[in-house]
Amino acid sequence: MTEVKVKKESTDPVDIENRIKELCLQFPHGITDQVIQNDMPHVEVQQRAMAINRLLSVGQLDLLKNSNGLLYRLKDAQSASKVKGSDNQEKLVYQIIEDAGNKGIWTRDIRYKSNLPLTEINKILKNLESKKLIKAVKSVAASKKKVYMLYNLQPDRSVTGGAWYSDQDFESEFVEVLNQQCFKFLQSKAEAARDSKQSPMVQRNSSLATSHEVWKYICELGISKVDLSMEDIETILNTLIFDGKVEMTIIAAKEGTVGSVDGQMKLYRGVNPIIQPTGLVKTPCGLCPVFDDCHEGCEISPSNCVYMAEWLDF
Amino acid sequence: MTAQEVRLCGLLLQEHFGNVVEKVGTHLIRSGVLTLRALAHETKLPLDLVKKSLCVLVQHGMCTFGAGRRGPAGPVEYRINCERVFHMLRYPRYIYTAKSLYGDTGELIVEEILQRGQMTMSSTVKTVADRLTHNMPEGQSMDYSEVVSAFSQLVETHFLQRCPLASAGSSSSGAVDTPLPVATQNFLVINSYDIYSTLSQGKRRRSSEDGEADQCAAKKARTDDSECGDDRIYWQVNFQRFHLHFRDQAIISAVSCKLDQSSSEIVRTMLRMSEVTTPAHAAFTQALSANEIFRALLSSYNIARPILDQYLSLLVDDPMEFVGKTGDSGGGMYVVNLHRALANLARATLESVVQERFGSRSARIFRLLLRKRHLEQKQVEDFAMIPAKEAKDMLYKLLSENLVQLQEIPKTPDYAPSRTFYLYTVNQLPTARLLLQHSYKTVGNLMERRLYETKENKRLLEKSQRIEAILASLQATGAEAAQLTEVEEMITVPERQQLESLRHHINKLDSSENQVDETIFLLKSYINSTQASR
Repeated sequence: MTEVKVKKESTDPVDIENRIKELCLQFPHGITDQVIQNDMPHVEVQQRAMAINRLLSVGQLDLLKNSNGLLYRLKDAQSASKVKGSDNQEKLVYQIIEDAGNKGIWTRDIRYKSNLPLTEINKILKNLESKKLIKAVKSVAASKKKVYMLYNLQPDRSVTGGAWYSDQDFESEFVEVLNQQCFKFLQSKAEAARDSKQSPMVQRNSSLATSHEVWKYICELGISKVDLSMEDIETILNTLIFDGKVEMTIIAAKEGTVGSVDGQMKLYRGVNPIIQPTGLVKTPCGLCPVFDDCHEGCEISPSNCVYMAEWLDF
Repeated sequence: MTAQEVRLCGLLLQEHFGNVVEKVGTHLIRSGVLTLRALAHETKLPLDLVKKSLCVLVQHGMCTFGAGRRGPAGPVEYRINCERVFHMLRYPRYIYTAKSLYGDTGELIVEEILQRGQMTMSSTVKTVADRLTHNMPEGQSMDYSEVVSAFSQLVETHFLQRCPLASAGSSSSGAVDTPLPVATQNFLVINSYDIYSTLSQGKRRRSSEDGEADQCAAKKARTDDSECGDDRIYWQVNFQRFHLHFRDQAIISAVSCKLDQSSSEIVRTMLRMSEVTTPAHAAFTQALSANEIFRALLSSYNIARPILDQYLSLLVDDPMEFVGKTGDSGGGMYVVNLHRALANLARATLESVVQERFGSRSARIFRLLLRKRHLEQKQVEDFAMIPAKEAKDMLYKLLSENLVQLQEIPKTPDYAPSRTFYLYTVNQLPTARLLLQHSYKTVGNLMERRLYETKENKRLLEKSQRIEAILASLQATGAEAAQLTEVEEMITVPERQQLESLRHHINKLDSSENQVDETIFLLKSYINSTQASR
């Protein structure tokens, strides 16, 4: 009996904590309650819970939840030191913002997750901002909305809009310039292919350009201050398709050939429009803004149409 | 019948046939089907005038008659075929096509038949030969046989067809079904029996092989029909054939714009081979094997067999899908996708209208919606790479002009705006119909402007006509130069300028009517082809 007692007293709370920390080091992914129990079967549930709570409050242990249950993970020393000196609420808010990653989180969502009143939240956010732990980033989708994220994180593309936005403004001239450059590249390639007078298959294949080639060409041109990825170039090429100047085909490519994504490659080719501007738009009526109001005998009629008079004298 | 179509029909009838026919025709279009009595009563015109107008319309194939609602015993009812009236807009194009294919002779033949509606072969040949002889220098005259050969060529390629015999009591619809093989056979039979087997020349007496010569000569002053023996065999223009020809031309020019000249020549060969074998509104031509195409290619194109195969596979791979491959026998069986080509042409027409009217960025949005079918506003902005404000403005403008439609998809049973998806979409067929009506209205506007311009300057035109008549008569009687210049000076210089500008205006309006007619043709073919394939 006494032996049992001695055993019980020898399980010092600090020892338990140290043991738990060692276990965490052993299993960097995190340990469940079951693991701690298996390791120290003589420790009672209450003592275990107390030890874990102490470690959590000090900030040395992280509590995570996965599909099976709760996981405990050792927090690295750096981040543990950061939030020292802040109280629990701040720590909670900080954690929520950290979880949001680089997409950032809105104040209302912080409120929902932490169940804290709005005034408290605002105070905490100001505090954290002054400590340079978080920052506010204006979203490009809704210009009044501000999202918060960790200070040293790069905001995600969906928030800032990516390469086409600079300071929340859509760079239309930049897009236009890129548009024209890509089109010129494809057009010159097509003309070179046509002038080469080889067999039609070879002609056609040489007028095709992969998205990788276009990307390289644009990078070498150096007209862009921002680094453009291949997806960016593909969105520009898509706008050219919608302009009717370019057509695209997808071919299967071997994995590993440069520029292939998931075993496919996109090829682009400059094309001509298949008809001339249609007859209807060669008349003033085709472009007339008051077409629907024009009737014989009214104020606006073919007989006294000013547009027609100008057009006839041309 | 839409209001615009009725208006255009009225204008066309007035221009070609005059006020009375226009009144009768417009009233008949508006009412649908009417008996003679009802028509005379409602238009308040005398009965014989109504009868004559109906005769004119029937002669040209625009009006059809048949047993009415009371059955064969009741009075005959008349209805107008609006499509046929719209073909009058296209007469210059038909004549030009005949000229490019068969020369001046063909042009005059088609022109004569278009003017008269239906004619017998003999009268056509005579009139055309006389006209050509008239234009030739003195001493030469046009050989009948040349005209006959041109006529027979037109019939063999189905540009001219025989009118169906209208027997009493049977209801003949306005559309002429094509008794084409029969017509050719009968024609050949008539030809050998006809008097033209002997040499004949314009304005000369003709001799015939059979014993009717004396009778013919006697009746010559009266009618030409009965003496020629091809009485009651009337010929008319086969509009459908011309339309197929125009459609083929449009497809060939589209291929040459998109790919290159040689591909368009190959497509031209394919279409030529399947001209007479493909039914009118088919979606594909007959399947042709690569061997046949190679044999049919003219040697002037100088395309070797492997090159031809490459061109064909390029045509098949093209995203526009002009040509499709249906099998591998005979070196590959290929068809021309007529319906797909017409749809592409109609789509290009719609896109060009949006581009010219609203700008290239709106055209980008329009094409984007045509491709991707349904998109939310945010997605439109992202795909088109246009700033949000401008994209919104353009979308609403297109929406107000009915070129773009809005589709609501609710998330909740009450269509609460905050909980509904609003998707923008473009439907090609209804938009094509809308533009077709716009085109009809445009042509009506152009014609009215032309009539207005002529009316405004009527005084001046009459004066210039009088002066020309005086000049002509003076020249015929051999007047001196001084008298001629005196007469010419009766038209002052500003008046001359005004006349010149009037002529310029009228020509411009005329040519733009033809251009709008091209749009009408493309859109109408697309709509007909879609409806036929449904």
